[in-house]
Amino acid sequence: MTRKVAVFFSPDGRVAHVKRNTSLWEAAAQAGLGLKGTCGGAGTCKRCQVLVRDGPALEKGTGLPSGAGLVLACQTLAAGSVTVDIPQDSRLAEHKVLLGGEDVLTESDADLGRIYRLQPLCRKVRLTLAAPTPEGNMSDWSRLQAALRGETGCDTFRISLPDLRRLAETLRSGNWQVTATLVEAAGCADIVRLEPGHSAGPALGLAIDVGTTTVVVHLVDLETGLVLGKKGTYNKQARFGDDVITRIVYATEQENGLSQLQETVISVVNQLVTGLLAENGRHRRDVHLAVVAGNTTMIHLFLALPPAYIRLEPYIPLAGSPPPVRAAELGLAANPHAVILCLPAVASYVGGDIVAGALLSGIAQEQEVTLFIDIGTNGEMLLGNRDWLVAVACSAGPAFEGGGITFGMRAMQGAVERVAITPESYEVTVETIGGVRPLGLCGSGLIDCLAKLCAAGIINRAGQLQMDFATPRLRRGDDGPEFVLVWQEEAGGGKDIVLTGNDIKNLLRAKAAVYAGIRCLLKAAELEMEAVWKVLIAGGFGSHLNIRDAIAIGLLPDLPAEKFTFVGNAAVKGARLCLLSQEALSEAQALAKKITYLELSAGSDFMEEFVAALFLPHTDLSLFPSV
Amino acid sequence: MGLTGLEIYKLLPKTNTGDCGFPTCLAFAMAVAAGKINQEKCPHLSPEARETLEAAAAPPMRLVRIGPEQTPVLVGNETELFRHDKRFNNQCAIAVEVADTEDMPAFLQDFSALTFERVGQRYSVDLAALRCTSGDAGRFREAAVLLRNSAGKPLVLISEDVSIMAAALPVLVGDRPLLCAATPQNYRDMTELAQKNGCPLVVRAKSLTELSDLTEKIVRLGHRELLLDSGSRETAAVLADLTQLRRAAVRKRYQPFAYPAMAFASATEPLAEIVQSIVFLSKYASLIVLKARQPAQVLPLLTWRANLYSDPQKPIQVEPKVVAVGAVSPASPVYVTTNFSLTFFIVESEVANSKIPAYILPVNTEGTSVLTSWAAGKLTGAAIYKALQENGLESRVNHKTLVLPGYVAVLSGSTQEATGWKVLVGPREASGIAKFARENFR
Amino acid sequence: MVFMPIVEKYRSKVQEVVLGATRAQGGTRDFTVTVGGEAALPFLHYEGQIPHRPLIGMEIWDTAPADWPACFAPYFADSFRDPAVWAQRCVSGYGADLVVLHLKSADPDLLDTSPEHCAAVVSKVLNAVGCPLVVLGCGKPEKDNLVLPAVAEAAAGENLLLGLAEQNNYKSLTAAAIVYKHTLIAQSPIDINICKQLNILITEMNLPAGRIVIDPTTAALGYGLEYGYSIMERVRIGALQGDAMLSMPMIGNIGAEVWRTREATAPAEENPGWGEQHDRGILWEATTAAALLQAGLDIVVLRHPEAVRLIRQNITELMGGRGV
Ligand code: SF4
Ligand code: FES
Repeated sequence: MTRKVAVFFSPDGRVAHVKRNTSLWEAAAQAGLGLKGTCGGAGTCKRCQVLVRDGPALEKGTGLPSGAGLVLACQTLAAGSVTVDIPQDSRLAEHKVLLGGEDVLTESDADLGRIYRLQPLCRKVRLTLAAPTPEGNMSDWSRLQAALRGETGCDTFRISLPDLRRLAETLRSGNWQVTATLVEAAGCADIVRLEPGHSAGPALGLAIDVGTTTVVVHLVDLETGLVLGKKGTYNKQARFGDDVITRIVYATEQENGLSQLQETVISVVNQLVTGLLAENGRHRRDVHLAVVAGNTTMIHLFLALPPAYIRLEPYIPLAGSPPPVRAAELGLAANPHAVILCLPAVASYVGGDIVAGALLSGIAQEQEVTLFIDIGTNGEMLLGNRDWLVAVACSAGPAFEGGGITFGMRAMQGAVERVAITPESYEVTVETIGGVRPLGLCGSGLIDCLAKLCAAGIINRAGQLQMDFATPRLRRGDDGPEFVLVWQEEAGGGKDIVLTGNDIKNLLRAKAAVYAGIRCLLKAAELEMEAVWKVLIAGGFGSHLNIRDAIAIGLLPDLPAEKFTFVGNAAVKGARLCLLSQEALSEAQALAKKITYLELSAGSDFMEEFVAALFLPHTDLSLFPSV
Repeated sequence: MGLTGLEIYKLLPKTNTGDCGFPTCLAFAMAVAAGKINQEKCPHLSPEARETLEAAAAPPMRLVRIGPEQTPVLVGNETELFRHDKRFNNQCAIAVEVADTEDMPAFLQDFSALTFERVGQRYSVDLAALRCTSGDAGRFREAAVLLRNSAGKPLVLISEDVSIMAAALPVLVGDRPLLCAATPQNYRDMTELAQKNGCPLVVRAKSLTELSDLTEKIVRLGHRELLLDSGSRETAAVLADLTQLRRAAVRKRYQPFAYPAMAFASATEPLAEIVQSIVFLSKYASLIVLKARQPAQVLPLLTWRANLYSDPQKPIQVEPKVVAVGAVSPASPVYVTTNFSLTFFIVESEVANSKIPAYILPVNTEGTSVLTSWAAGKLTGAAIYKALQENGLESRVNHKTLVLPGYVAVLSGSTQEATGWKVLVGPREASGIAKFARENFR
Repeated sequence: MVFMPIVEKYRSKVQEVVLGATRAQGGTRDFTVTVGGEAALPFLHYEGQIPHRPLIGMEIWDTAPADWPACFAPYFADSFRDPAVWAQRCVSGYGADLVVLHLKSADPDLLDTSPEHCAAVVSKVLNAVGCPLVVLGCGKPEKDNLVLPAVAEAAAGENLLLGLAEQNNYKSLTAAAIVYKHTLIAQSPIDINICKQLNILITEMNLPAGRIVIDPTTAALGYGLEYGYSIMERVRIGALQGDAMLSMPMIGNIGAEVWRTREATAPAEENPGWGEQHDRGILWEATTAAALLQAGLDIVVLRHPEAVRLIRQNITELMGGRGV
């Protein structure tokens, strides 16, 4: 056996026991400390900097003792027991996903879609059975089924073998009174729990959104339909790569990669669930059902289904509509028999999260054409009405979530969300979330910033910084031209906050991908933009989105502001609908079959639309008359 | 005009049964609209829907076969005016003309050299055209037999004299030569001759109006294997007529012109004939007859034909061959990129800009960019290894280090393993190459 | 039944651009030429007016080209060393409408000549010929940003056609064209969107659209010519449909592309199946040009006098005596 060494992390005081010559990055992950990193530990993103305070550390590759000062955790190996400092900059912050809030266009919760009948997938049935007699001598199991049939209208029932083995005792100890917790779907019911007597215990359910970047859980009382609590955090799979492709590669090519990814996401969900249960004084054995929405890759990883072929032409998922599984099979913090349902996907790049969004938005009920846009690491768009629905997906990159941007960050305290630039003097004022000193920019802030830079002429329509402008804010940095947004004296991190030429390119590409996707959708449907009756926007920019700015940079189509609605996290809300309404669940299943997926890489149309959109607001200025 | 995806969708049952092999009716409708699949693949079509779809799917221009049943030259069936809208369907046929008074063996020798190998493709002229200038039926027939036996290509027979044509045909049974031409004067007999022998026929008039009338008359006689010749011979007039014929067929579905059109090069000098033919090829001829027959003259024409009829949807690619930028030496660095032309050219200009001579190795990713090809598993360690091998990089440079685009840093390990080369991760953006080169290779 | 020609209705026409300036106009040219103005697709005279025929420019260098194949020697061997003589030969010997002077010597990897030297060469060529002049930099942006403004200044008022402005390098050249009254070539890499974007960027600096000629970039026959062809066709259709930012006349630097290819230069021995190099080279250039003329090209830049002759004949036939 290889000797293990200990890696101590300060100031957290955590320790990881790892094989000798494990990288500090992996050790930190083991210790439950997320490090930043977008290159999957390849040593290129330079975000995982740590300080080795003590002990023998080696440089990966050369095997030489690592230098003093900050080193890359992923490129540094623990040759013996070491002590390591993780600077604040390198940490994956504990993150509060914004779940509400008010501003320009605030995420709206109610009034979306049709209201479905409250008819939870899971309920408790309290039965009183007739005791057996010489004539009424059917078996215990038949007796139970007969009674359930009368109560539910279901025909077939399934029970776990352990519960069946205990059945005789359960019925008799409750004196032929029994409480069955059922998960019903399509005329078939699963008995997930059997309790003697008439139990008053609650039936709880989870609505789970497994996003590439964030994970959100809602804890729901299935009998009342009330949301008991909401929690969200980063998807810690980010340490294996920012985007789905990197994670697919990791799952496919690394030994144990798939199980590592699955364990990571399950532990993230469990952490949220345990927190929610504790805060509400509930117990995990009362959680009988979970509905999970996620993109196709995330669902594969959640279930540990090999995702390799999602990425390769012709992009085939292993399962688009995976069968229900039990909590115990996944290690989920719930009653071990709890049923876990994953919402069905349309295609490899249009997942159950979009189906959930479609459900929530009621797009398939309207006569008029609705456009639904989910802007995340992948941009997915859905267009249609009750007769037809078409979806596309494009890789927008994580720019609007703050990824790949020098001073990008997620929407949390200290993130710049509003920017103003005075003409002539080029003075900048910013507003941050929480009103504190600025640390970086979130998606809303980046959109605003781009719009204001263009309006002030500091960048031209191609996004190039105009270095001949007389302001000290324009300068040449390590990565080429950059614009200083906040001087270090005013910044929270003690450094100038800048937007570089490359940052602008990344933002342009992200917005161009989204807009090009929208154009391709409209082209496929042979519709003009004006034919779109309303636009629903989902995504994680922040708590709000300034529609004017988003139009000014050509991210969103130039339509009257009243046509837009910001729905925030549509996936988790759609999952919640399914939790509470059988009707909603079957509607979601029907939707997944009904949506037609359009593969953008199949034609060069997308490329052309993309290049056309790499301009502020767009090469075809007539598409943006109001800008 | 074809129906759009949504229009077709409205005619389908909208039940999403999947029996057509597509997940939804709309997906199927879009594939039908794009011409990728036949509407018959849906077993649930109503009779009315079937009828509407069939009518819409009928091509605006007839497909005409010249030559023997088994190996015909196909012309026509075009649906577009501009190649950027959709790929042109059947390459314009090139016929090389010879008079029956000429030295036939000399012609045959030249003619046999008009097949070319270029960039792994084979280009060839399609037809031998025999013009009767002798006025002698026997001589014409003799020459036709000689061509049939030795040219190895289907024939075009040029004479407006029905008796001369009639004399040649009995020796060409089953060869289905293109008869050129029926005119307002001879059309009854010429059409009968063509029909009897199962031959395609050129309809020739002196104006478009006359051509329209004549075509209708011939169609009424029951012959439809037709090519159109407006009779114009001056470059500008031919261009105008060919454009009108194509527009009438494609845009107006004008029935008398729903046939492929042809043109004759009229310049006296071979080089000028080629330039003139470029005009006709670009703008809508489905068959060109010319006299130029030297390989150096015909190759440019056939090359443009291959280019013009290629698929416009295919991304612009560069050849996946290593390129040396600047005065390279065996110590020069090697940059890996993809063969998507935009990507390649940006890298090339930035490498040049760095002023440090280097090799650029464009890996064949079917013309996709770095991130796209990586995402789709086309840019892999194995693909890079293959490119290194095929381009003999080992013998060009005296080191074993390659530069990988920063966006695919994750490929470093697998590339190192697959190639045995050391991997340097380059910048993500090409704009960083100059700085990167200065820091690493100076 | 009388067949009625199908005539497209267009909303607009191609921008007219004047090249050169006479003494009265502040320059020294004997005459000016006008390109553009088409109200129809190429050479479809029944559809709309085509007031100007396409122009032929002949490419000359300010230094003897080392890599031009031997087939040029009979025409230019004695003039390669002197751009003034070379220019005269093109105009009076071979009938070029325009001289296209390529300032190759400025290339830092070649002779690295100074901006002043380049300006002097331009003056010399201007003195030698009376036609309008096209001046191209060496192709290295950093150097061209020094050379071209110096040339623009020295030839102020001549209304040169100056190039190349590109998306990443258009500002200094545009500024020079505005100040010293020249016309600009805006080059984009076979991409209609970038072509349009560059025109927007340049016109937003206040250079009028009538002072821009676009170079959508072309490849040689067999090397992706069809992509350039389709882009030009689309640019032209865009112009006719009223897109002002695509409405400028187009120039194609054909000779330089063609004479790099093996098909144009390889001797017959190398590839016997391809036939003699003489006709093949000339036709490779003429074919490329003839195809692009069908896509809407307005200024054809060629090298070989025989290709020039063939294309002139082609243009004459296609114009049918119309246009100036
Ligand atoms: S077979 Fe017909 S009905 Fe069934 S999905 Fe295909 S198109 Fe629709
Ligand atoms: S550099 Fe260490 S994770 Fe990216």
